[in-house]
Amino acid sequence: MNASIRPDGKDDRLPSPARRRFLIGAVGTGFVMAFADASQILPGTPEQAIAEKVYDPALWFRIDSNGVVTVNVIRAEMGQHVGTALARIVADELEANWADVRIEHVDTDPKWGLMVTGGSWSVWQSFPLLSQAGAAGRIALVEEGAKLLGVAPDACVARDSVVRAGARSISYADIVKRGNLSRSYSAEALKAMPVKPVSERRLIGVDTQAIDIPGKTDGTAVYGIDAHVDGMVYARPKIPPTRNGSKVVSVDDSAAKTVKGYLSCATLDDPSGTVPGWVMVFADSTHAAIKAADRVKVTWQNDDTAGVSERNLLDHAAKLIGDASAGATVVNDAGVDEAFAKAASTLQQDYTTASVLHFQLEPVNATALQKNGIWEIHTGNQWQSLILPTLAKALGVGEDKVVMRTYLLGGGFGRRLNGDYAVPAALASKALGKPVKMICTRADDVRFDSFRSPSLQRLRMGFDAAGKVVAMQHDACAGWPTQVMVPSFMPKGKNDRPYDPFAIAGADHWYNVGAHRVRAISNDLANRAFRPGWLRSVGPGWTNWALECFIDEAAHKQGVDPLTFRLNLLDASGGNAGSAPNAVGGAKRQAAVLRRVAEMAGWGNALPQDTGLGIATSFGQERDMPTWVTCVARVRANRTTGVVKVEKLFLVADAGTIVHPDGALAQMEGAALWGLSMALHEGTQFEDGQVRDTNLNTYTPLRIGDVPDLQIEFVASTEAAVGLGEPATTVVAPAVGNAIFAATGVRLRHIPMRPQALLDALKKPAGPS
Amino acid sequence: MIKRMVLGLLGLIAAAVVGLLILAYRPAIDPIEPPSATTFSPALVAQGEVLAGAGYCATCHTAKGGAAYAGGYAMKTGFGTIYSTNITPDAATGIGRWSEEAFRRAMRQGVARDGSHLFPAFPYQHFNQVGDDDLKALYAYLMTREPVAAPPREPDIPFPLNRRVLQAGWKLLFFRNDAYGPITGGTPEWNRGAYLAEGLSHCSACHSPRNGLGAEKTGADERYAGAAIDDWYAPPLNAANRAPVAWTKDELFAYLRTGATALHGVAAGPMSPVVHDGLSKLPDADVMAIATYFADRFGAAGERAAPDAALAKVLAASAGGGGPVDHGANLYDAACASCHYNSGPMPLLVRPELGLNSALTAADPSSLIQVILHGVAVDEGLPGAMMPGFAQSLSDTDIAQLASWLRRSRTDQPPWPDLDRQVAVLRTQSESSRSTH
Amino acid sequence: MSQFQLNGRPVSVEAEDDTPLLWAIRDDLKLTGTKFGCGIGFCGACTVHLNGRAIRSCITPVGAVAGQHVTTIEGLQPAGQHPLQKAWVAAQAPQCGYCQPGQIMQAATLLADFPNPTDAQIDAVMAGSLCRCMAYVRIRKAIRLAAAEMRAAAQPATEGARP
Repeated sequence: MNASIRPDGKDDRLPSPARRRFLIGAVGTGFVMAFADASQILPGTPEQAIAEKVYDPALWFRIDSNGVVTVNVIRAEMGQHVGTALARIVADELEANWADVRIEHVDTDPKWGLMVTGGSWSVWQSFPLLSQAGAAGRIALVEEGAKLLGVAPDACVARDSVVRAGARSISYADIVKRGNLSRSYSAEALKAMPVKPVSERRLIGVDTQAIDIPGKTDGTAVYGIDAHVDGMVYARPKIPPTRNGSKVVSVDDSAAKTVKGYLSCATLDDPSGTVPGWVMVFADSTHAAIKAADRVKVTWQNDDTAGVSERNLLDHAAKLIGDASAGATVVNDAGVDEAFAKAASTLQQDYTTASVLHFQLEPVNATALQKNGIWEIHTGNQWQSLILPTLAKALGVGEDKVVMRTYLLGGGFGRRLNGDYAVPAALASKALGKPVKMICTRADDVRFDSFRSPSLQRLRMGFDAAGKVVAMQHDACAGWPTQVMVPSFMPKGKNDRPYDPFAIAGADHWYNVGAHRVRAISNDLANRAFRPGWLRSVGPGWTNWALECFIDEAAHKQGVDPLTFRLNLLDASGGNAGSAPNAVGGAKRQAAVLRRVAEMAGWGNALPQDTGLGIATSFGQERDMPTWVTCVARVRANRTTGVVKVEKLFLVADAGTIVHPDGALAQMEGAALWGLSMALHEGTQFEDGQVRDTNLNTYTPLRIGDVPDLQIEFVASTEAAVGLGEPATTVVAPAVGNAIFAATGVRLRHIPMRPQALLDALKKPAGPS
Repeated sequence: MIKRMVLGLLGLIAAAVVGLLILAYRPAIDPIEPPSATTFSPALVAQGEVLAGAGYCATCHTAKGGAAYAGGYAMKTGFGTIYSTNITPDAATGIGRWSEEAFRRAMRQGVARDGSHLFPAFPYQHFNQVGDDDLKALYAYLMTREPVAAPPREPDIPFPLNRRVLQAGWKLLFFRNDAYGPITGGTPEWNRGAYLAEGLSHCSACHSPRNGLGAEKTGADERYAGAAIDDWYAPPLNAANRAPVAWTKDELFAYLRTGATALHGVAAGPMSPVVHDGLSKLPDADVMAIATYFADRFGAAGERAAPDAALAKVLAASAGGGGPVDHGANLYDAACASCHYNSGPMPLLVRPELGLNSALTAADPSSLIQVILHGVAVDEGLPGAMMPGFAQSLSDTDIAQLASWLRRSRTDQPPWPDLDRQVAVLRTQSESSRSTH
Repeated sequence: MSQFQLNGRPVSVEAEDDTPLLWAIRDDLKLTGTKFGCGIGFCGACTVHLNGRAIRSCITPVGAVAGQHVTTIEGLQPAGQHPLQKAWVAAQAPQCGYCQPGQIMQAATLLADFPNPTDAQIDAVMAGSLCRCMAYVRIRKAIRLAAAEMRAAAQPATEGARP
């Protein structure tokens, strides 16, 4: 499975633009415009090709005889207004009237190819192709329009779904009705397609209202939890005491029988091994299912993970980090050990991060039924291509017998990249022979969460006699989601060992630090004890916490201003010079956002007592699609209560071309506040095989009153558009930690940073740092 | 010698028993044929209806979900649970065969028609203040209700305390005909308030502490000093009242008339039926009379210095919110502030200000815990508004920390001790009482 | 069985009295705009109006609202054009949108109590409404927009009444 997906997450099943041709074929009362693999032999006319679906359906749109342009979207809508952004790219090149543009979120179908929404990839991956598609459509429309107007194509201008030649004009709708748009462009022709210059863009980079928003204000938006199919039975699971190691010994439902509406319960038999030890409780309403499940008593036999706690995980991590032979070397320059040996001085620190819950507001759920031999799974999901094979295995059918119906996601944040929750619903429906809607209570959802693994990291830096950085090593140990869920996704390190790229990204930074080594270590105990998950920005959530605090500590050790220290290291030389198409400019652009944010925040100005500024920067998710981002936090610490008040966050991002500026800003706001939440407010602990906090009485994400002033700026750029959903998440915690140090002299090395931790540190006698 | 001593002792006991029996003896009053409803004038019945409300007859004589006045309402006492009797005019199981004289004797002396003694949970000590005309009207009202056949339920009180004859001894010790009045000497309005409050409305039955045998304490400082009642706490109605803002006559009137005021909160728990079922039919003038009487009784608490400063302090705490300092504060932000937050200069009636509520300043946290656990029903407190209960949402520790933080942040009172346990006890008690109803 | 008014119409549900109003609305009455988030009254996604004021429907038993008036997001304004809803679109407040019906219902009570709310008032009253996408900056902005519109709408009417 997933053999065709490259380890970096890109899908090489999609032909590269260089190998694509473009088809326009009449279908019904309109035309479909689609890419096709240039190496395929087309069956006759474009119409036939379209009719036989030999085109690449992942990238197509259609235009009907009323001039309505419908862009299909295979990405999940979970708050990023992705459909709007993707449709803007097409419509801009097509010169379509935005009011006539619609989007359609499609159900799964093998024809769509890879369906995944994550990694902040959506816009970045689709931008070039959608631009070319729009341009090809526009040219066809202009050619046909010119013909119908009786003028030469180069006398025509397309704008707002109308082709104009002087005073004469014809609408796209009329061209579709009267003209023959049928075309087939070769790969070469497509390559030469005149995509508009940046100055001619009319929609990209211009604010608009997202198409999905009105329905989200009046109750008409439909999420997975709103799915309804006739004859469905409600089900709630009994979540076993451990994620992977529990077996059902006995089930006693005698107390549930007094619940009106209770039907039965069933121990799930799961050939896919996704949900071992699950018992499903059935009832005729959600309430009855919830109440009855509370009364069903299940006895489980558990493995040793029932006794594992956060301390054990971190102790295990410390042992692994202490073993020089453990893990995969992701970066391993020559001479690291020698450089450290020769260094005039060194600095070493450990950093930890707590377990963090997704706590997407819509608890996971799924509705499953079999209809005409096809299993339908109704649920919101971020990575259909990942869970479909598992569903097929669980149900004992071919993948072509399972289809996932698409719904809005009541929050993704990476939780719904892991579609494990679809499996028990499917198994329950199979066991019962009826449509089943599986609801999880909040506590069920949390106990079943594939939460962010706790992490331990050790960073070390060597300096020469002049204070120049000559060596650096970064060891990071955490549970690896990719190892647990998609091992085939793991590339190999320099020492030929596979690693989870998402769990170490960020450590391979753009600073020039001399001889550099990055070691990624899988916490195998974590991988067994729970299912580590991808959580908004994944690895950079912990690697940047450690890296950017450590850089700050190094600067202070050298007596250099932390901003200057960073700028000195971001000299964009050698491997950090950057390259086309996505990383043009390299570390120069990271230095630029640092300078800009420092200017905005008044870096270096005097501040009141117990108030401090902290700075941190990152390149976002991956070196080959860097989003240059930086944050300055201004905090005020209360030495009596230990409470840190974040007064303001200043953020600057260079994400290349911004397609939907307001949507981009919303993503930055949300991501920054997520970062702040994980810095100060939320975090739990693994305790005896489960997370300790299962609801909001004790789990305390940031709320509206905790929101500081935000000042966010994008660098104006026409470089390649990259991702924005995650990068701002990871710079806030280190900025806040560094600001606390600036305000109080206390260095905190664990997130979340709770008031008690600051109080405890303030009470300690001051010593050499 | 020993034999003689034993005989003597037995003799003494026998004499005491005989004495008690003589003392306890009350003759039965002859039964009557249940009078027809038409024998009572509609005006008299209407007057009786108002008075029955003011005496909360229905509240105690109606079981949860049961027929009005048919009895069976459970009352927990220090000695066990007793159940109220059927006071519908049913001939066999109610008071259908009671003459007006029998009714009057029950109200004034706590003796049933058949001569047996009533438990003092029936507040005849107060009802003996009710005038003849009012008793006549009450009788008329009750005798014109729909008769309901509902046999009385035996009390769950261990022997020998369940012996009604012993109640005579109790009366000997504690029953004084004039204990609660008549109280006069004020303005006519004040006198009217005293007549209602001390008599039919028997306010001190809940608001005064009781002694070991369940009798109201009557010392000057003890009367209206506040008391635990039905797992709630009835706050002091005297100078010991700790309300941050003084209880004035107008505030009392508004509270008793509507069930809520912005400066003192809502009538919840056992006080809610007092307002919404009990006093609701009394004319404004009578409610004002009761308010007048208590405004006076509050004494110093009614004339507290600088109420504006106290109010400002509470509102500053309310406006300050919770924050990350404390688990209780976090809980408040997430679960309470959306409805209870206020910012000066005056709290809003629809946002009950916790810092002003007696539940928070009281010595006993029961009322606050009860409200957090079970909320306030839509027909309680402020009419039309409701607060859901958090029994299923919050652990005992959560509730204890929330209560503790509220007390610390909004009052000058010392911390409540042992809150975790008190929450656990009240949770268990309400669960068991809910399952029996 | 309980009977009450839902969005101005009498309804009756078979559900047991202890059924949370949330599930009666979603399962029995098939209005799914009201969302399930935490089930303990701590996230606000289930907020509806009881007799015109915000209440958490996930911890309110349906039996407790018998005879009362319940309003959900679908009934706040029949066309979805309440000033708050318009402001939510204008400010582009929703991200995933799951919490927003509850946010809007809570905001309606906020503005009933504080027609010209300060940031502190917004923060305190909206504190119980969790937005996991953390669209809080825009929620504040939308509330201020709606408040301004509602005040402006109220103003001419009063002035127009003068001779």
